[in-house]
Amino acid sequence: MGKTESSLSNMALTLITITLLTGAALGYVYKLTEKPVAIAKEKKQQEAIRLVVPEFDNNPAQEMYLIPTSDGDSLKVFPAKKEGKKVGCAIESISHNGFGGDVKIMVGILPDGTIYNYQVLEHKETPGLGTKMTTWFKPSEEDNVSKASGNAFFNWLFGISNNSGGGNTSIVGVDPTKTKLEVSADGGDIDAITAATISSRAFLEAVRKAWYAYTEIVDTHSSATTKEKNSQEGGMQ
Amino acid sequence: MNQWSNFTKGFFKENPVFVMLLGMCPTLGVTSSAINGLGMGLATTFVLVMSNIVVALVKDFIPEKVRIPSFIVIIASFVTIVEMVMQAWLPALFEALGLFIPLIVVNCIVLGRAEAFASKNSVGSSIIDGLGMGLGFSLALTILGTTRELLGSGKAFGLPIFSESYGMLVFVLAPGAFIALGYLIALINKIRRAG
Amino acid sequence: MNQKLVISPSPHIHSGDSIPANMYGVIIALLPALATSVWLFGVGALIVTFTSVAACVFFEWIIQKYLLKVTPSITDGSAIVTGLLLAFNLPTNIPIGLIIIGAAVAIGIGKMSFGGLGNNPFNPALVGRVFLLISYPVQMTTWPTPFASRLQYIDAQTGATPLSVIKEGLSNGQTIPELMERIPSYLDLFLGKTGGSAGEMAALALLIGGVYLLWKRIITWHIPVSVIGSVVIFTGILHLANPSTFADPLFHILTGGIMLGAFFMATDYATSPMSNKGMLLYGAGIGIITVLIRCFGSYPEGVSFAILIMNGFTPLINRYMKPKRFGETIKTARVQTSK
Repeated sequence: MGKTESSLSNMALTLITITLLTGAALGYVYKLTEKPVAIAKEKKQQEAIRLVVPEFDNNPAQEMYLIPTSDGDSLKVFPAKKEGKKVGCAIESISHNGFGGDVKIMVGILPDGTIYNYQVLEHKETPGLGTKMTTWFKPSEEDNVSKASGNAFFNWLFGISNNSGGGNTSIVGVDPTKTKLEVSADGGDIDAITAATISSRAFLEAVRKAWYAYTEIVDTHSSATTKEKNSQEGGMQ
Repeated sequence: MNQWSNFTKGFFKENPVFVMLLGMCPTLGVTSSAINGLGMGLATTFVLVMSNIVVALVKDFIPEKVRIPSFIVIIASFVTIVEMVMQAWLPALFEALGLFIPLIVVNCIVLGRAEAFASKNSVGSSIIDGLGMGLGFSLALTILGTTRELLGSGKAFGLPIFSESYGMLVFVLAPGAFIALGYLIALINKIRRAG
Repeated sequence: MNQKLVISPSPHIHSGDSIPANMYGVIIALLPALATSVWLFGVGALIVTFTSVAACVFFEWIIQKYLLKVTPSITDGSAIVTGLLLAFNLPTNIPIGLIIIGAAVAIGIGKMSFGGLGNNPFNPALVGRVFLLISYPVQMTTWPTPFASRLQYIDAQTGATPLSVIKEGLSNGQTIPELMERIPSYLDLFLGKTGGSAGEMAALALLIGGVYLLWKRIITWHIPVSVIGSVVIFTGILHLANPSTFADPLFHILTGGIMLGAFFMATDYATSPMSNKGMLLYGAGIGIITVLIRCFGSYPEGVSFAILIMNGFTPLINRYMKPKRFGETIKTARVQTSK
């Protein structure tokens, strides 16, 4: 250390050399990783879509389009098709009324209007309470798998009741025209997560938003097929 | 100094986390699970070894007065490389560690080793020093991560040990990091005094 | 453990009291609230109180005997007080396993890790309570309804507390006047006939206990008065500014843990300031933080957090507001503080 004298020209030269070299190295690594990064990102989105709609063979991300909602958001809609036939669509929806901020979910809706599945993409809810939304609103079998590892004595000791998932908590397979997608405390048909009503409310709001967006597509779609070619259709293909 | 003790000092005698209390930000921030702790530890180890090598190589060419900025540029470059590589091939880990990857730059262990060791020693010793310190850091983070994961969610490395609903959630959250680290340091101190 | 050395800085001990005398005084003062709790919640209150006290005494004994290897001092009553206060801060349908964890945390982490009685910076019972609240939020926030199922323990019928009714209602777009219709009358709140932790709702019983503590000179008036006073003033200002989103001061002091906190938990010797001026500042801090958490935070109740936060400030307050030592002139005191 210090064999080079600390003169101004030496210091400037050293720093310039180092920054040039590291800059070149970074540029090279960036080129190298650019493609894999894009692929990884796309794969993640594909994965989320695959989980919420039935099997498809198109690329929903390429056919993605936006639908504006009444409160100023625009939801991303990913139509899923198999052999050219529509099998459902995944809608990325958001609620701003979560307990800790925005709740972002992906909801899959079948062509008949029932909810196929959902996936929570982003949330900032309280761990142990609001975070349960990732499984709470799915059918209870999935919930019970995680609970099965406890035994009766410890469940009693820690106050965990096995039937807490037994109520009307699932939104999977539900037809929102027949079932009111609101927490039961507000007069809806879905039981809220225990001690996390606000998170449940936000979650269901996001689901409702997705569903309203979906009904709009169906309306424009049916009007497009029964009447004349709608100008909206260009955006839908 | 003999190379073996140069390598092993980072594990126990001069462990960066439990003994020197360096790099507390990632230590407390990312250790909510064992795998996060290990991932962070290994990422830091990579940066530590690479920056030690480069610093040891160029130490004679860098004027005294600009050594710290030079080291920082070198370290920051390796951190950025780690970030890009992780984003490309380990996206799940990248998301879990999030902000803490770029923060390796300001981890005082890395700059500390560059300044205190690599700038005064040969390339070979610097590699061993970086490896020992990095693995010691990884070990500490993995121990802390496993403790917190087990107490907080009943799992170790993602494998369920007991039902998640028995877990003490506080250990997954920030206060649990402080509590767990405090008791681990107390335990290490007790062993050190006895030994 | 040298008990006299531990307690000598406190101005309350000048009369020559001992730790046991003070601790058993506190226990007597807590009895009316315990009786109210049993009247309201029945068997659950008894189970929770008994388990908590027994577990706290047990952990104190085992840690002192086998970990610290000192003569156990469980007869001084401080572990019993911690156990009682922990129980009073838990819902009466809380499972036994959680009570035991809470007691272990209260005694082990909250008290013994710092060197035992007199050295703990935070109120041990509250450390245990907050640990449980964060770790097991579901079990800690389902409160039994008074009178509904006095013979049941875990399966007791549950309902919302007045504070959680307000918090949830406001987040759902309702206003305070609408929500007040769902809340018991102020007389019922005063008597404690509402959901809540085992011993925190019975304002009347806690007041009786508080008056006993004052009469026996176990505590001075400064902390309770400044806590309750600052809550009244702060919520009064908020209520006057916007009555549709902020409840009135009377509601705030009758609900939640204000009474229990002001008289029994904020006044803990080891964790509260020593000078009168310091105590007033400390109490006001607790009141203001409580109201901030209740009105603007995400939890419906904030007394425990507020007391723990101000516990953290106690050393700082003690540093700048030292009580004048006997025989010390003002001049030397000034020299000392300026060092």
